Amino acid sequence: MFSFKLGLKNLTRQKRRNVITIFVIAFAFFGYLFMDSVMGGMEEMSFSNIKNYDTGNIQVMHPEYWEDREKMPLENLIDINQGTLDNIKNMKGVSGVSPELRFKANLNNGIDEVAVLGLGVSPEQYNEVFNTKNYITEGAMFAPGESKAVIGVKLAELMDLKMNDYITLLVRTKEDTFNTIDVEISGLLNSPNPIMNNGIVFVSLDIAQQALNLGNEVSLLAMRTASGDEDKIIKALTGSFKDKNLELKAYSWRESAASVIALSTAKKSGAATILSVVLLIGMIGIINNVILSALERTGEIGMMKALGMREWEIVFVFMVEATGIGILGGLAGCLIGFFGVGYMTKYGFDLSYMGGDMSEYGIPILDKIYGTWNISAFSFLFILSVIVALLSSIIPAYWAAHKDPVKAIYHR
Amino acid sequence: MSLLELKDVKKIYQQGKIKVAALRGVDLKVEQGEFSTIFGPSGSGKTTLLNMIGCLDTPTEGEIRLNGNKISDLSRKALAMTRRHNIGFVFQSYNLIPVLTAYENVEFAIRLIDHASEINIKEKVLKILDEVGLKGLENRRPNELSGGEKQRVAIARALVKEPKLVLADEPTANLDSENAIGVVKIMVKMNKELGTTFIFSTHDPMVMEYAHRYINLKDGMISADKRKGVKGV
Repeated sequence: MFSFKLGLKNLTRQKRRNVITIFVIAFAFFGYLFMDSVMGGMEEMSFSNIKNYDTGNIQVMHPEYWEDREKMPLENLIDINQGTLDNIKNMKGVSGVSPELRFKANLNNGIDEVAVLGLGVSPEQYNEVFNTKNYITEGAMFAPGESKAVIGVKLAELMDLKMNDYITLLVRTKEDTFNTIDVEISGLLNSPNPIMNNGIVFVSLDIAQQALNLGNEVSLLAMRTASGDEDKIIKALTGSFKDKNLELKAYSWRESAASVIALSTAKKSGAATILSVVLLIGMIGIINNVILSALERTGEIGMMKALGMREWEIVFVFMVEATGIGILGGLAGCLIGFFGVGYMTKYGFDLSYMGGDMSEYGIPILDKIYGTWNISAFSFLFILSVIVALLSSIIPAYWAAHKDPVKAIYHR
Repeated sequence: MSLLELKDVKKIYQQGKIKVAALRGVDLKVEQGEFSTIFGPSGSGKTTLLNMIGCLDTPTEGEIRLNGNKISDLSRKALAMTRRHNIGFVFQSYNLIPVLTAYENVEFAIRLIDHASEINIKEKVLKILDEVGLKGLENRRPNELSGGEKQRVAIARALVKEPKLVLADEPTANLDSENAIGVVKIMVKMNKELGTTFIFSTHDPMVMEYAHRYINLKDGMISADKRKGVKGV
C-alpha cells in the first residue's frame, strides 16, 4: 500500500526531531523498566529475607496468639513434645521445623538498657529452617542449654558490646514477675535482613523457657518447605490439627508478611502512576510530532487532497509515521532497558548511597538491591507504546487531514 | 456536450464583517482537448476560478458541470473522488513529496486509482516520465532536480492517471524563461498527443503565446474570451 510506504518514508524527514522524540520515549520506557526491575528485586529480596530469616515458609501457632503476635504474649502458646515435632517434620515437603519462643526483653549491658526481641531457639532445628548461621560474622551459634547469646552487629554497636561480653536480659515471666537471663555473647550476626541485626537477641530455647517459667511451651513453630508447596502443606496440617483436636493453625509466610506485601501492592500502584507518566510523555511526544509535521507539510497535504486522497487516507499516512516513531521509541526503550535491567540484576544497586538500611521504610533489605527480569513488562510496554502512538496520532492527524485544500495548498 | 460548463458562478469570501466577491458571475464553456489560459491582474480571481473548476472549492452561487455532471454542490468525499479520477493539478510551487523519488511522486497519483496491475503502473509511470523528458532521472529526489525538472515531474504526476482535465495555476511562475517555455511545450505536446484539456493561469505573455484560447479575467468576471487567430488577440 503506497500510503503505508509514504508514512514509513516520512519517518526519514525531520530526523533530528524524530530521533529526539524516539529518545524521549525510549528513556521514559527505560525509566519504567528500570524502576519495575528494582521494585521487583526489592519485593523478591524482601520476601526472601522474610522467609529465610524471620518466618520460614509456614508458621504454626495458636489462632489467638496469631492475633496478638506483635505484642509477643506468653499466653496461647504451643505445648510441644518431640513426637509432635517429628510428626510435622515427617510430612511430605517439610524439610525443617523450628520451635521458637518470642518474648519481650530489655537488654542491659551494665550501663544502658534497650528494648529487644528475645528469641529462644533450638540451634540445630533453627538452622534447618533459617539461614541465619551463615551470617554469624564473629563467633558461633550457642549449643542447646548454653547460657550464651547471639546478637546483631548493629545492636552490639549500639550497646557497645563485643564478643564474650556478658549481657543481662530483663524479662517478665508468665506470672508477670521479673526475671533475668544472664548470657555471654557467643556470636555476632550480620544478616541481609536488617531487622535481625538491629534488635533481636538469640538465646537457647530451654534457657528462655526456664527464665520465663514456660515449661515446654513455645510461641510458634516455623517450618521450611519447598517454595510453592505452602498451601498444600497448610491444608494437610489443618487436617492433621483437626484430627488431633489441636487448637492450632498454620499460616503461610505471605500472611505473616502482610505489611510488606501491602507495601509491595502500594508500590505497584506507584508503578502504575509512573507508567501513566511514561505513556503521557510518549503521547505528548507523538502528538507534538504529528502537529509539527502537519504544519510543515501543509502544502503537501493540500496537494494530496488535490490528487483526490480522502481524509482517512491522509490520516493513515500520519498514523503510520507516528506508529513508526512509537515502535522505534519502544524498541530503543526496551534495548536500553535490557542493558539497565541486566546491570541491575548482575551488579545491583548499593544501598550505602541511601544509608544502607531500608528497614526504616518497612523493607527488610540491607546493603544492595538487585533487579529482577520481568519480560512481560518489556512486551507489555512495547505493545502499549505502539497502541499509544497509534491512538495519540489520530486526532492531530485528522486535524491535519481535515484542512481546507485551498487553504492548505496556498498556505492561507 | 462541453467538458466543462460554468453558469453564473459566484464566489464570495467572508472576511470578518466584510464580504469579498472573488468571482462575480462567471459563464464559461470548455471543450474537450482545448488548451486555454486564464490571465488577468493579481486579485482578478484566476486562482479562485481554477479552484472551483478543480473541485477544490465550491461556488457561493451558480453551477459547474464537468462532463455533464453537476459538481458545484457535491459532498467533500464526492469532490475528492471527482478530483481523483478526472482532474490533474500542476501548482506553481510543485508540491512534490521530498522523500519520494521522481518515479514515486508520479506513482503516488496513479496508485490512488489503480490498485491492480504492478506492471501496468510501472509502464505508465516510466512512459510519462519519458514523455516529459525525465528519462534517466526517475530515481532522483526533488532536491536533486532543477526547478524545470521538478515542474515536469508535477506535470507527469498530473497526467499519469490520464485525467480529462489538467489545471495549472501559474505553472511557470517559479521558472526562468528557458525552463518556462520547456514546461509549456511539454503541456502542448501532451495536449496534442493525449487530447487532455489544459487550463492554466499565467502572467507571462511568452507562455500565453502557446495557448489556443485566452480568457481574460478582471474583477472576478470574464472581460474577454478569445481564440487564437481571432482578430484582436
